[in-house]
Amino acid sequence: MFRFAINRIAQAIPLMILVVLLVFTMLQFTPGDPVQAMVGQYPVPHEFRAAIEKRYHLNDPLPSRLIQYFGNLLHGDVGYSFQLQRPVLDLVLERAPRTLLLAGAGFLIGVPLGIAIGVVSATTSRRSVDRLWTTATLIAYAIPGFWLGQLLVIIFAMHLGWLPTQGMGPLISRTTGFAWLLERARYLALPAATYAIYEATRAAKLMRASVVETLGQGYIITAKAKGLSRRAIIWRHVLRNSSLPVVTVMGYAFGVAMGGAVLIETVFSWPGIGLLLIDAIRARDNQTIVGVVLFISFAVIVMNLIVDLLYCALDPRIRMGK
Amino acid sequence: MTGRGAAKAAPLLDVRGLKVHFSVGNTVVRAVDGVDIRVERGECVGIVGESGSGKSTLMRAVTGLLPNVAVTELSGEILFKGSDLRTLSGRDMRRMRGEDGFSMVFQDPLGYLNPTMRIGRQVAEALPPNLSRAEAKRRMYELLREAGLPDPEFVAKRYPHELSGGMRQRVAIAIALSASPALLVADEPTTALDATVQLQVLDTLKKLYRERRMALIIITHDLGLVAELCDRVYVMCRGRVVETADTVTLFDAPTNAYTARLIALSRRDGRAAGTEALA
Amino acid sequence: MTSPPTPDSVAEGGHRPLGGIARALSAKAYRFLRALAGTRYGLPGLIIISALALIALAAPWLAPYNPLRQVDTSAAPSSWQHPMGTDNIGRDLLSLVIYGTRASLAIGFCTALAALFVGGLVGITAGYWRGATEAVLMRLAELFQTLPVIIVALFAIGLFGASFWLLVGTVALAIWPLEARLIFGQFVSLREREFVAAAIVADLPYRHIILREILPNALPPIIVQVALDASLAILIESGLGFLGLSDPNMISWGQLLFTAQDFLSTAWWMSVFPGLAICIAVIGLNLLADGLNELANPRAAQASPGLVL
Repeated sequence: MFRFAINRIAQAIPLMILVVLLVFTMLQFTPGDPVQAMVGQYPVPHEFRAAIEKRYHLNDPLPSRLIQYFGNLLHGDVGYSFQLQRPVLDLVLERAPRTLLLAGAGFLIGVPLGIAIGVVSATTSRRSVDRLWTTATLIAYAIPGFWLGQLLVIIFAMHLGWLPTQGMGPLISRTTGFAWLLERARYLALPAATYAIYEATRAAKLMRASVVETLGQGYIITAKAKGLSRRAIIWRHVLRNSSLPVVTVMGYAFGVAMGGAVLIETVFSWPGIGLLLIDAIRARDNQTIVGVVLFISFAVIVMNLIVDLLYCALDPRIRMGK
Repeated sequence: MTGRGAAKAAPLLDVRGLKVHFSVGNTVVRAVDGVDIRVERGECVGIVGESGSGKSTLMRAVTGLLPNVAVTELSGEILFKGSDLRTLSGRDMRRMRGEDGFSMVFQDPLGYLNPTMRIGRQVAEALPPNLSRAEAKRRMYELLREAGLPDPEFVAKRYPHELSGGMRQRVAIAIALSASPALLVADEPTTALDATVQLQVLDTLKKLYRERRMALIIITHDLGLVAELCDRVYVMCRGRVVETADTVTLFDAPTNAYTARLIALSRRDGRAAGTEALA
Repeated sequence: MTSPPTPDSVAEGGHRPLGGIARALSAKAYRFLRALAGTRYGLPGLIIISALALIALAAPWLAPYNPLRQVDTSAAPSSWQHPMGTDNIGRDLLSLVIYGTRASLAIGFCTALAALFVGGLVGITAGYWRGATEAVLMRLAELFQTLPVIIVALFAIGLFGASFWLLVGTVALAIWPLEARLIFGQFVSLREREFVAAAIVADLPYRHIILREILPNALPPIIVQVALDASLAILIESGLGFLGLSDPNMISWGQLLFTAQDFLSTAWWMSVFPGLAICIAVIGLNLLADGLNELANPRAAQASPGLVL
């Protein structure tokens, strides 16, 4: 297993390098004046221009610019946001945890829920439930996540007024301790619920397929032959073997969700990394755009790595080599 | 030469007029089409036939272990120790798989063992739940030993894919024995194994049959196996029993042309090769 | 699904003029559509997508008002004149949604076809040359599959600005791996099959082998994937539109949702109706895909998955 881990990590590094190369290449093709591109919407005074050209070696040949870029990255210099007047790294580090909180909450609620639904729908013997299920999945898969968010806002925040419509917290907050937690939870509720419903659907569909396949395996018949109750069979044999592939897929999905957070954060004005990206795009703040994209790419790669290792650890067949 | 312990009492297993029909695509497959089978306590009975004769389906239907397929008809009587299995509730049926009940071993032990669970746990799972952990462990080792595995501590810690085919088959037998069944059904117990391993498993089965005095039903297309092990034989073809007799009579003087052909084929190609010719 | 070539059919293929081929194709298409309409999911899917296609084509005649012109009070709820209400500027929402059909369907299909083209090229190349080519190409596909689509699209749009073809390009970039892997798998497995070997032995021209033998058997799952790709593309485009990053020159449902975002409390219909339209389009395509799937692999026994005790 150790060898497998080293192998995967070694694969991830060139991948990251490749991403940086791709990003750098795309940057070179940005239309317009590179200095203007770096600065954004603001006019560039003459002295400033010279300083930037010098600092970022804009007039150097391509290879040395590339090396410079890599060097900067390794030093933690991902760029500077002229729009927000802060280093990009600071911005990313400040906002990433918020997105993690949101996506994490959504997944932690949604995936187990989805797994449960998947198991139930796969093991029920009533045809009506089965039919209901197929129709429900069909519809659920067609609903865009962000539209679901809008609907939830309309119903729960606007019409029922139970929950706030946007943001991470009130503008002025005087609560402390548990009350503070509760208050924050109210703001987290709707966006996390959107995530949760969305991912629960996907998890449920995967789980159902996985369970159906597991039920066709021989060892389920052996379990029955042993005289195990239906519940024991599901808990001890079906669940573990069926949820393995689902958990791994959802693990990959979590990485992707970091990217998809963009949509939900926009609906709820949740100040995470997705919103940062959108604002940067609107303000043509290219350095922030690049910084965020790099971060998200790395997050995806790392997440995939973790999931691969997890899968290896959980499945004894893989853990012990071919 | 009737089976040992054949009293005039009611037979252990009495199947009457069993029919099992599946729907495959647009057609109906009559896998089992009116079959009568009788097994006494302590008897060893063989059910032979070519692939597709329905022998496997027959016993799976009897033990309630059919795979998830669309069954269009399942009729007839399945009397085990006097009760009709078809009328039993889920709980009662499960009790039939327990002490003095019936059990089944399948052809492909790898697919029939949970790949993510250690062997020891899989064997112990079938033991009665009221045992202490130490007692359960002891019994589990005993079962593995009885099934022909000399190093049960080693095997118990392993996962199925770490064992050889023969060892897995014996684990399957240990699992089947754990509830001390009165009847053990073995579906092609040696077919997936190499020749030498086949002999070993055969010896194990023989030993079990003698020592535990349990009834044994062997489903196979290997007539040599039947000749070695069984007291009586049923010959099946296309869902029906075409002949039944005790082993000696069947081999010496088959009354049915199909049976004669089967025997001739197996004799001509030798015992080991006979398996391929009939498959 | 197809039978091996008979001497007659070979002769036909070689000697029929273009008109004959067209007739044969349309006869096949007709039979195909009828079969599709017979499946449980195919029929509703076909109906929905045909309806949407008609709406898209006939938009100028169907829409009651000019979608871009203010025609009434702003943010008015549903009424007889405006079944879907009006938006914040006072434009008729129904007309907006009707015109939106064009953009969504166009993006859906263009993207799916682009992905098919790129994926097909990659898949066939990898399948033909195997070895190192295969390893490299399939790894590349894997790489693209793990990239979050939205991010790639945003990045490209952020740097280059939004336009219809850029959208198509970026979304296709995210989707092509699916097609590539599928086509690769199909190509490889079919290449080995007996009837291809038989055709080679019978010394039939290579073009014939690909057209008459490989393609008809490989096509069904590919068509299914195309339908799914289109629905995926519509969802992604609506997301981009919602972020305000879609092509500003076209009306799309996603953009309608973008405008709706600021008016969720005052004009909820601005969000509900375009969203419903997206759902319907995606459901339609998914149903179509399911129907096609049923045609491609008729399941032998619809095993009810419940545990039978």
